[in-house]
Formats: sequence, structure tokens, C-alpha cells
Amino acid sequence: MSAFIDARTIPSGTVLQPDLAIIGGGPAGISLALALAHTPLKIMLFESGGMDFDVKTQSLYAGKVSGISYLPLDASRMRYLGGSSNHWGGWCRPLDPIDFERRAWVPYSGWPFGIKEVEPYFKRAQALVEAGPWSYDASTNPMNAVAQPLALGDGGVYTSWFQFSKTRDSVLPTHFGDRYAEDLKRIANLKLFLHANATSLRLSDNAANLDHFDVATLNGRKFSVKAKTTVLALGAVENARLMLASRDIAAAGVGNANDLVGRFFADHPIPRDTATLVSFAGDIAGYYFNAYNLNGALLRPAFAPRDDFKRSNAVLGSLTTVESPIELDELGKAAVVSTALALGVDASNAKAFSIGCGLELQPDPERRLTLTGDHDALGMPRLKLSNRVSDSDFALYRLTMKELGRQLLAARSGMIRLNYKTRSEWVSALDWGDHHLGTTRMHADPKQGVVDANSRVHGMSNLYIAGSGVFPTYSASNPTMNLVALTLRLADHLKRGMR
Amino acid sequence: MNGRRVSRRTMVVGGGVAAALGAAALGLTLPRLFGRRYAPTPYDDLLAQLVDRDAAARVGAVVRAVEPNFNTKAAARELRQRFEQRNLAEVIDADIREGRVAEVSGWVLPESLAQLCALAAG
Repeated sequence: MSAFIDARTIPSGTVLQPDLAIIGGGPAGISLALALAHTPLKIMLFESGGMDFDVKTQSLYAGKVSGISYLPLDASRMRYLGGSSNHWGGWCRPLDPIDFERRAWVPYSGWPFGIKEVEPYFKRAQALVEAGPWSYDASTNPMNAVAQPLALGDGGVYTSWFQFSKTRDSVLPTHFGDRYAEDLKRIANLKLFLHANATSLRLSDNAANLDHFDVATLNGRKFSVKAKTTVLALGAVENARLMLASRDIAAAGVGNANDLVGRFFADHPIPRDTATLVSFAGDIAGYYFNAYNLNGALLRPAFAPRDDFKRSNAVLGSLTTVESPIELDELGKAAVVSTALALGVDASNAKAFSIGCGLELQPDPERRLTLTGDHDALGMPRLKLSNRVSDSDFALYRLTMKELGRQLLAARSGMIRLNYKTRSEWVSALDWGDHHLGTTRMHADPKQGVVDANSRVHGMSNLYIAGSGVFPTYSASNPTMNLVALTLRLADHLKRGMR
Repeated sequence: MNGRRVSRRTMVVGGGVAAALGAAALGLTLPRLFGRRYAPTPYDDLLAQLVDRDAAARVGAVVRAVEPNFNTKAAARELRQRFEQRNLAEVIDADIREGRVAEVSGWVLPESLAQLCALAAG
């Protein structure tokens, strides 16, 4: 058992020489360290923060945002051990097979492999995020036995199931720093440094290898790390920042010969009250609002478009949840009465509910991160996020919701009102999931991706990226469990490299 | 069969009344249902399908507001074709099955119902 090392005590000028350096102590970095425990690799993990929130460290994240509104860059992520799991909501759902496919209607879509490459890692990832037994859509029948879900007629939308990360009982969710600190201390081949900020990636003269990287602390210490292999696990925003800011050998930044680093930024828009759902029968099962514990799996339903509906209607992924009861206005009451009468349905106890959702965005190279002329306390250039959402992203979601409305009518169980039509209506209701995705996208072709199918930076022998920044498309599923699965896959790749 | 046989039409009307009784809880009253008289229109054969014409008219007013050039004659012609030997429930079932839904101030309704509502709005 070894304590974590406070990097502020490392003498300036020190050169550390691990086999593997992991930069970043969030879900990806911690999962990677845990997966490589007790291997012959001498591993060092460098985390910018300490064990708790600290204002000075957090402010290193500050940056600018332009375009469509977005949470400030120093508020949409967390900079201490555990990373952004420290403000995670705990929502989990695996990527769908179609998420990996090249979809003709989704520009820039297609992963370099199918879901079968990731599936073997899902259950270990599920264990790390502590989301209970793997149930998800397999829980449909047992949950139907708990209480009948809203009936849907045949069609393109089905009831899918989220699961939730929980540390113990119903305490949500797993904060990776708190949860795994003691496990990390027990790993004999790992040294974990707190308060250690990577400030520059230093390439070999031919730019084909990472020679070393610089580390700085807020108390003025500076040292370097010369690792055989390095994994960036700083999160999608900060990975791009470090790569773009490292320009001593490659003028455009590390891994950026094709001007891709920082582009294709994405998140999941979660607009509020996108629709009103009416249940003709009135009350609906309690699990629509509060996750239900089914044999250790906390489950909550969401309406999701089927893969064949996505194909035939060229829509993107979305996950729609029922949120809270609301009152109908006079027009709403008239619409419900007219429709229920026409269907021959008793709507005397009808109730209305607001609807929330998470949306998949189309990949967009102009939704991007760039460096600004401002610098943080360590001299690192700050970032600007140029954020935008296309009208078609909203319009495609409406198609899915309209289909949900049709299926409710077909089942005579309820109906839907789509609350937003114009761009300004959508934008004014917009929140975000704080799921940073896509700035170092994965693609087999270096001209279309920053990393290859093994998460190795194209053109470099010893630099890898972990985390959701490598997602070339984004699904509507929440990324944490999925990025942990991909990280476990990377761990296996690195293990194979040791042989 | 004996004299207790219930015809399909009786079933439909009976179902509509039962639904109307239920709908009373959402703000529509029985006196209005049974007592209201309306001025004759060229579409009374179609509007007879509506159990609560006032509620339908409220919805239809939105259709007419959004589509000021709503063509009542064309809509009536189309509806009569759809209603040929079918009742309202069967017509809107077909709408739903075949994906003919309309948006009325965001409410997703069977297209024929939206058209009927627009006719009810006069």
C-alpha cells in the first residue's frame, strides 16, 4: 500500500521514467490503471487536482464559448481525482450496434470496428461503474411484470432501459476518485501523482514519437516524464488542448497534421420539456420518474428509435424520458377530449407529463475547440469552444417524437404534443449533458481521424488517447460506461504490446 | 340470433357516449353534450361523427388559424371518401396505421380528426 504522491514535492528538473504514463485521473485514466494493475509495466498516473475540489486548480479549465449557449468550460467538467465522475448523474446505457456503422445519412459516421469489438468489455465496465447486473433492455419483461408500461402500437419507437451507477444501495453514482483511491494505492506497479499538470507534449525530432512531457504544479515545480508509452486521459476537451498547445516540433500541434484535433466536438443536447405526453388512463408506472431496483439494477425507461426506423427515416439516436406531471391548457384539454372520444377511449382520468430527452448530434467539423491568446496560471493557452447545432438535429428528433405520438394513438394509450418547432424555441430550452465527445476522433484513415482503431495517435508510435474524445459518432447513450469499456479494450492492446 | 343482438352501429354510438361521460371530467359537461343546437352546415353528415363538437371546434380553430386558406370543400370531399361505409373510429384507425397524422399546435392527431375539427370550427 503506497500513498499518492504530491507532485508539489517533486524537485524541479526531475525526470521520471515509467513504462506507461497516464495523464488524467478520471474514469478513463483510473480504469486503465486498474486494468493494468499487477502487470510488469511500471505505471505512473498524473492527476491535475487533489482529492477534492479546489478553485485554483478548477480555474485552469476556464475558457471561452461562442455560438449556441453552453455551460462555461470550467463548470462542465471537474478537475480532481475522479475527474468529471465527480459530478456525474450515473446514467448508463450501452452503445447500439448501429452507432458503430457507417450511416449514409450521417456525415462522417462509421467507427473502424463494430460493436463486437467493444461488447466483450461491457460487463467489466458495468462492474467498474457499479451499475449492477447487466440488464438494460433484457429487463423489459420483468419490468412489465412490476407494472405495465405505457402501451405503444407497432412502430419505430420502443421502450428501452437505462441503468444507474450506484456506489451502495441507492447512493448515486460512482465517483471514481473516492471509490477507487484505496484500490489504486494497493497497486504495486502504480505511482499516482496528485497536483501534477501536464503542460506540453515534447516530440522526437522526426515527430514520430513522444519523447517526454512537461509537468508543472501550481506552486512552481516543473519536472518531466519520459515514458515508453503515454496515454492521454484528460477528457475530450483537455486532450485536445494539450495536443494543440504542444507546438515545438509540429507547428499545428501534436497529432494535428490534418487539422482534426479539436474539431467534431460534441455533447448531448438535453432540451427541457420538448413534448407533453398524455396518458389517457392517468397515472403511469412510478419507474418512469424514479429508478426501480430490480435485483440490484436501478432501471428507468426511455423511448428510443429502433435501428430500422433510424435507417428508413434517416434519424439520429435519441432517448426520451417522462419527467413530471403538468397541467394542460384549454386547447390541450380539447385535443385530448376530441381524440379520446374519436378513439372511443375513456380519458376521464387523463394526466399529462413533461418529456425530456438526450439527443445525438450529427458530427460537425466546425463545432470545435481552438486555442486563444489567453493563458492560464501555468502558461497554457486557454480554449475557445465554437458551439453550434444544426436545425436538422432538432427536426430529426421531431420525426421520432411524431412516431411516438402515432404509436400512442395506435395503442389508444395516450398522445403527444411536440412543444418546439422553431429554432429559437429549441435553443431557449437547451441544456447539455456535459458529455464531451469527439475532439480526437477515431478513424482508420489519418485524414479523417486523430487516432487509429487502437486509439493510437496516427503517425506516432507511443501516444494513445483514452476517453470519449475518440468517439467518431456520439450515440444518444451516456458515454461513461462506454468509454470505460473502450479503455479496457485499450488496456488489452497495451498488454499485448508488452509481450 | 335473438332480438338482443347489438348492431355494430349501436356499439359505436354506445362507446362514444361512454367515452363522453368519461370526458366530462376534463371539463366538458353533459348538458352541453345533449342540449347544444348548431346552425346547419353543408358538412353536418360529417360533423355528426363528433361526440363533442365544441371541443373539436376549439381544436379546429387552431387548424384554421394556421391554415387560413383551409379548403373546406376539398377536406369534406376527402373525408366523405374516407367515411364511405366506415365510422370515425375505423377512419382514424386507418390514418394511424398508415401514418397520416397532423400536427395541431404541436398535438399529434389523426389527420381525419384534424380535418373534422377544422370543419367543426366553421
